[in-house]
Amino acid sequence: MALIVRPADTPSLAAQSIGIFTSDVPDPLAPTQDERRRPVTLGADISFQYPIQYNIQTLSSKDVEHGDDPFGLLFVPALQSDACKKAEAAFVPANATRIQNIPRNGDSYALIGFAPWFSPPCMLEYFQSVRKSDVKAVIVYQPGNSTDMPPIMNDASWGLGDGGTWKVDNDFPTYAIMAASGGIIMEELSLYSGNITDVPQSDDLLDIGLEPTDYVRLYATVATDSGTQLPSLWVFLVIVLGILILIILATSGFMHFIQRRRRNDLRRRVINGEVNLEALGVKRLTVPREFLEKLPLYTYSVLPAGSDHEKTVPQPPAQAHNLPSPTIEAETGVKTLPLTRRSSAPIATAPPTDTSPAFSQPTCPICLEDFESNETQVRELPCRHIFHPDCIDTFLISNSSLCPMCKESVLPGGYCPAKITNVMVRRERLIRRMQSRGTTHAASEPASSRSPSSLPRPLGSLGHRIGGAIAGRRVFSAPERRRSQPLDIEMGTSQAGTRSEPSAALPHHQAEASPAGSQIQDGAGCSEPTTQNRREWARERALALLGNNHIPTESDEEDRGPRWKRGIRKIFPGFR
Amino acid sequence: MSTKRIMKEYGECVADTPEGMKINFDENKITKWEVLLDGPDQSVYALPEVLSVSVRQGGHFKLEISFPPEYPFKPPVVSFKTKIYHPNVSNDDKGSMCLGLLRAEEWKPPNKVVAVLRLIQTLLIEPNPDDAIEPSIANDYKENYKEFEKTAKEWVKRYAK
Ligand SMILES: [Zn+2]
Ligand SMILES: [Zn+2]
Repeated sequence: MALIVRPADTPSLAAQSIGIFTSDVPDPLAPTQDERRRPVTLGADISFQYPIQYNIQTLSSKDVEHGDDPFGLLFVPALQSDACKKAEAAFVPANATRIQNIPRNGDSYALIGFAPWFSPPCMLEYFQSVRKSDVKAVIVYQPGNSTDMPPIMNDASWGLGDGGTWKVDNDFPTYAIMAASGGIIMEELSLYSGNITDVPQSDDLLDIGLEPTDYVRLYATVATDSGTQLPSLWVFLVIVLGILILIILATSGFMHFIQRRRRNDLRRRVINGEVNLEALGVKRLTVPREFLEKLPLYTYSVLPAGSDHEKTVPQPPAQAHNLPSPTIEAETGVKTLPLTRRSSAPIATAPPTDTSPAFSQPTCPICLEDFESNETQVRELPCRHIFHPDCIDTFLISNSSLCPMCKESVLPGGYCPAKITNVMVRRERLIRRMQSRGTTHAASEPASSRSPSSLPRPLGSLGHRIGGAIAGRRVFSAPERRRSQPLDIEMGTSQAGTRSEPSAALPHHQAEASPAGSQIQDGAGCSEPTTQNRREWARERALALLGNNHIPTESDEEDRGPRWKRGIRKIFPGFR
Repeated sequence: MSTKRIMKEYGECVADTPEGMKINFDENKITKWEVLLDGPDQSVYALPEVLSVSVRQGGHFKLEISFPPEYPFKPPVVSFKTKIYHPNVSNDDKGSMCLGLLRAEEWKPPNKVVAVLRLIQTLLIEPNPDDAIEPSIANDYKENYKEFEKTAKEWVKRYAK
């Protein structure tokens, strides 16, 4: 994330001060030379020293690194053209220090060029010349007596007629000092260019033990603001941004992690049969065709009381999932249904004393057509409700996985949809929270709408078993007009009824009169939703009031809502 | 299938029409029923006419019940063609009523139109303000019943003659 933006020519590495000193440089080629001697800076009392603390204009800070301030021996670069050489004479004394006056030690002495900026073409020649010498920097001045700040970097007087490409071509920085200082230094450069005996105060220098072969020259150090400057606003912003992005990434990652754990947890509970997504109202499931085909098909037959008509099975029903398959009696070839097969019947469906099959209906509840004895083929769901295959298959494939009559799941216990989404996780959590809050609702909650397989099936199924044992065979008898309305729906109704008088006042005889069971479940909350919020509100309300009877129709909300919200949900799963 | 079922249900409805209701059935357009409904006597939607006792009182409301192609897997759609001041009926040109078993998520194929008709009648007698589609009317009903009654009766006089 450390992203440092530094444009090539920002003044961030501007020179704060320049110091001119005099240095004693041993001659590396002198025969008596002691190899250990290094250049030393001479004292101000015996040599020239000239600190420049202000009025320094940085024209280019190219190739200056932080913590690597330029320094080097000063020299005046050579010019090529005669015209420039001639013009230079007015500003540069004849014996000013040139490159040839600097002792060569395999290029090991750092150099700084020093030149008067008197004409653009000659300046270009200066630059050309210093580029060959590998200098650390170039210090320039516009000749004159001015002690003012030199013009700013973009001033026309610094133009060389090349659109500023000289700054790019130079691989060193360029600093301008004020005219007066430039003149003084140039003057000194002419004094410190010859033998040690020719420089000012040469006797003193020899007295302190300098060798006669030594070179005494001027050198400059440039102090840039590199070390002391605070990070620029840019860098600061970038850092802040980086931290922010890090925080967002960390949060997002964390939420993804949590959400994934919740999804896995929900999947585990679904597979274990602790949770039935649709019965709980989390997700509307449909029945895949392969499960559907496993549901048994029979021919409907009316069995008059005491008659011996068997329910015939024209085509062997496919293995009913999670149910023991019917056994075929060897002699008759007639299938008898094992008695235990009703172990998954809902508790509430039959009182223990009821010996007749609880769910034999004479009419298909979907098309309201009567079944015809020995003719109509019916599909039986695990809850024993029977329908025309055409009717129920359409419903189960496209609408729901719950029996339209009693809401028991048709899917096998551990069935889990391929994808557990975050929305499903959220709904499930919401419902669980509501249930743990509203204990009264939880208490009156119909057992069959919980996961059918996870719950003990005591009396009801036992009764069935006993009943089946007595009858010895399973028949679809034409029922007396009795109420076949499953208990859970009834409870749902009365549950709603406790809250709103209308349903209490509702005449129930209709439901009783029609064996198909027309349940009235009113007071469940509106509405033709006008807005998204309203719909959400109504949904939650319905969830709260109805407990489990409510099933969302919507496809997952993951794909709904405004785009920004969807985006945020992607980054922060679990965000509402 | 839905056609057959609707026909069958119509037959049942004719045989057992809830009191105060009349179904106008168009053979050519069986998926749209027109229902004429008298405001139940116990409700505020009964027209307070002082006619002979034998004559049915009550505002006359026209409803439309339309069956979606997916019927009976999707619920029928109920809309009041006559304006009515009721918390559960939308106060717009649709006049839609959508609660209880009329909601898509609660509708079950075994439910029948006659149950819908009874639900409507019940709701006229006893509105359900907790699941209102018109919150302001619901508020009136709950907090200021007198005002609600007055407005409802006015509307009956104005629209439901
Ligand atoms: Zn059918
Ligand atoms: Zn069932």
